[in-house]
Amino acid sequence: MSDTDQTAPIGPYPPTEAMLAEPVPSEEQARTKAELKAAWAPPRGWRYFTAVNNSEVGLWYALTAFGFMLLAGVLALVMRLQLAVPDNDLISADRFNQFFTMHGSAMMFLFAVPMFEAIAILILPAFLGGRDMPFPRLSAFGFWCFVIGGVFVMGSLLFDSAPTAGWFMYPPLATHDEGPGSDIWLLGLSFIEIASIAAAVELIVGALKCRPPGMRVNIMPLYVWYVLVVGGMILFAFPPLIAGDFLFELERSFDWPFFDPTRGGDPMLWQHLFWIFGHPEVYIVFLPSIAIAAMVVPTVARRPIVGYSWIVLSAVGTGFLSFGLWVHHMFTTGLPNLSLGFFSAASEAVVIPTGIQLFAFAATLIAGRVKTSLPMLWIAGALAIFTAGGLTGVMLAIAPFNWQVHDTYFIVAHLHYTLFGGMVFPVIAGVYYFYPFIRKKMLSERLGRWAFWLIFTGFNVTFLPMHLTGLLGMPRRVFTYSAEMGWGWLNMISTLGVFVIAAGFIVFVWDLLRPKGNQTQVPRNPWDAGTLEWSHDVPEEYWGARSIPHITSRYPLWDDDQLVTRMDAGRYYLPDSPHGHRETLVSSMIDASPELVQRVTGPTWITLLAAGFTGGAFIFPTFHMYPPAIVSGAFAVVCILWWLWTSTARLPEDEMRDAGLGLRLPTYASGPKAVGWWAVWITMLGDATAFASVVFGFFFYWTAKSDFPPEGALHATPALVGLAVAALVTSWALTLGARHWNRAGRVGVARAALAAAPMLTAGGCGALILSVQQLEPTSHVYPAILWALMIWVVAHALVGIIMQLYCLAGSLTGKLTPRFDADLWNSTLFWHFLCLTALVCGAIMGLAPKVL
Amino acid sequence: MTCKHLPRPDEEHREFREEADSLWRITLSPVTWVAHFLLSYIVVAVVCAKAPALLGTARIGLLVATLLALAVIVWLGLRAWRQWDWNNTGDYTNPVGEAEDRHQFLGHAAVLLALISAIGVIYGTLPVLMLESCR
Repeated sequence: MSDTDQTAPIGPYPPTEAMLAEPVPSEEQARTKAELKAAWAPPRGWRYFTAVNNSEVGLWYALTAFGFMLLAGVLALVMRLQLAVPDNDLISADRFNQFFTMHGSAMMFLFAVPMFEAIAILILPAFLGGRDMPFPRLSAFGFWCFVIGGVFVMGSLLFDSAPTAGWFMYPPLATHDEGPGSDIWLLGLSFIEIASIAAAVELIVGALKCRPPGMRVNIMPLYVWYVLVVGGMILFAFPPLIAGDFLFELERSFDWPFFDPTRGGDPMLWQHLFWIFGHPEVYIVFLPSIAIAAMVVPTVARRPIVGYSWIVLSAVGTGFLSFGLWVHHMFTTGLPNLSLGFFSAASEAVVIPTGIQLFAFAATLIAGRVKTSLPMLWIAGALAIFTAGGLTGVMLAIAPFNWQVHDTYFIVAHLHYTLFGGMVFPVIAGVYYFYPFIRKKMLSERLGRWAFWLIFTGFNVTFLPMHLTGLLGMPRRVFTYSAEMGWGWLNMISTLGVFVIAAGFIVFVWDLLRPKGNQTQVPRNPWDAGTLEWSHDVPEEYWGARSIPHITSRYPLWDDDQLVTRMDAGRYYLPDSPHGHRETLVSSMIDASPELVQRVTGPTWITLLAAGFTGGAFIFPTFHMYPPAIVSGAFAVVCILWWLWTSTARLPEDEMRDAGLGLRLPTYASGPKAVGWWAVWITMLGDATAFASVVFGFFFYWTAKSDFPPEGALHATPALVGLAVAALVTSWALTLGARHWNRAGRVGVARAALAAAPMLTAGGCGALILSVQQLEPTSHVYPAILWALMIWVVAHALVGIIMQLYCLAGSLTGKLTPRFDADLWNSTLFWHFLCLTALVCGAIMGLAPKVL
Repeated sequence: MTCKHLPRPDEEHREFREEADSLWRITLSPVTWVAHFLLSYIVVAVVCAKAPALLGTARIGLLVATLLALAVIVWLGLRAWRQWDWNNTGDYTNPVGEAEDRHQFLGHAAVLLALISAIGVIYGTLPVLMLESCR
């Protein structure tokens, strides 16, 4: 690129020891401190809910997810009461179905995954010595979407209309279910899945681009590695489920027979799509929780982690292998045994990386001088329980054993051992460990021990006997059983145990929420830890880090005793805020050399409004109210456009900014140097995965069904499909051309291209819609999937039109110039993916009928 | 190099390319495992559904694919081994925030990932070796 010099940093980097040793004059310290404090001041009073700062949003997120967890736990208590004795009639079969469906759904979608996002949003910037996440409003938007979706889905319990088909919603049971239950599940949770992807984008960009100067990939805290891996997994795991939801809802609402075998559909497709999501999801929940252990263990052992590279291997390897396991939930569906063998083998192989990290923790503890603490007690409990769950997992990966215990209480026992050991215990350890960082108070040691022993004992009393209950043949999800089955005493033990767990949680919640006003101020680094989050300010400040340090080792607080003092003095980067803006530092991906000062967004109502209208767009269709849904969706688009227009890619006051230590950094970037470009790239990767899942559906029907496409079926009109593809590809070329012309200063040509492109796009959409008009989607799955592909492309093309017009408007109003063209880069990137989607769709609709 | 007066941009570009290569390279072995896994699954699914008679040929094809995948992984592993350079440095942990340690660390991580990917590929081949029919 010709203008790299213009956008490159100027000045010395890395800083020398002499530069760091030079003291900051006290009046300058006071001035910069006041500037920073003003820029990051939190909103007060009723405006508190407009906050977008990671410390607020992360806390709300975590508390809300925990609240949903307690509700789902109460459902479990009622279910256990119902099952305590044979032939019980405490609750009806239908209510029992609602309860177990919501218990599983809420624990997965409203607790486990959001809790990862919440904790990561809350503490990741602190690990990185950063100010905030790169897109604070996106976090806030995701959180409000989560609240609305979660309350809607959980609220259905109060109206006796909750989903009843189990947390994996198998058709045909779920597709034929009366009432809105299945729709509530599909639309409510799709909405939350989108919020999850938003959080994943935020976290990946945060971990890759917002590290402090000098924090190269080999010295990142392990938590950051895990966040990267898990973010990547979310991108590839959630989209298949969203694609599945899309097909499922088309069947529920319009009777398109994707999962109906009488019209060529196949319920197995749902099982595939669900478990391609569902198994990685288990690791999405497990890895970030075990990442907390990777932070606690070195602190407790008072030495650096043993086998850093091995733990990285473990995280990355598990991330990959966990995608080869999905069929092990489908061993009894009659797939060829040879196919089952592949998944059985991968399920055994994933144990190796999973085990390696546990050995690395054990080695660290053996090699260190262990100082026991409450967080370590919970980690120890986690390791014990998880290991037991892992061992039954090895048993279940063997197909013949799996056939015997499929859908019995053995499975219930196994999954609770893995999730309690792999998620609940490490997260509680994290709460105890990070509480002084989050609330600047300590939790009670004595109450913590009580909570631990109650939950640990209660857990084993509840779930250990369930292995036997399952082996004796008790199926899961039955609302009662007869006395002669002989399961009564085992169920009674489990029910007694579950109340011990509940007692433990009451102690824990009390400790968490009790007033702690009279506590003495906590020390800054109460555990003597070595990582950056313990440089936090006590009492609390909202700026994240007083100045962003230069990092040279894995445990900076252990290795550099001057570090915190110099951070406090504002010796390092960005100690000030001359324009009163909230800013953070963007650095290069691998070596974290500083590249850019990124302005980040502040408090606003727009995220709440946008989330509210987005909620409407998802919730109204549940009750088949389509006009209000469309209006609500349109308002959501307007809100988001207003938000983007007013607060992203703004023209900077100064093109370069003094970042401290003599370094001058640019304040605007477009293309691959901008965080926004990376966010679009990552989002589109997820989107492409969802599209690939729909395409997978097409070829799945072709392999699984002999009548796909049926004899003598009508096909999409090839000429119209060809025309549509040609129009969309030309539109893509014009968008790309506009970027080049604009960069080269030929603004008029660029504007003309941006004006012509949307018309071509619209024409292409029209041709694609016409090409399937002769097909009747309710008659057979073949026309239905062609319609679904058409809808997918048209929906994306509409977004593409909005982007083209947005850039055109930007160019006309001076927001987008040859030098400041980030929006055009991002739109072009979106169009690369759209162009590819159109080509694939065209090939399937136009060419596949001739080939198959 | 003639442009001695302006070494910076060129140097930066080179360094960036090298870094970017390393980061991609650590995922290449697992990606080979993914390719092998998907190929095995797809070939078996299509053959068993459409032409069970061809299973014998398909199995031989998959065994060849396994050898290919293992060859790729071994090649990647050896490259990574040289990048790690443990024989010469004896540095097992690479804990320092310098370009050299970062470079070697990525090599080390890639070696380990090659190892686990090779194990994954071998595991994934066992069903092809041991089961002679679709059932």
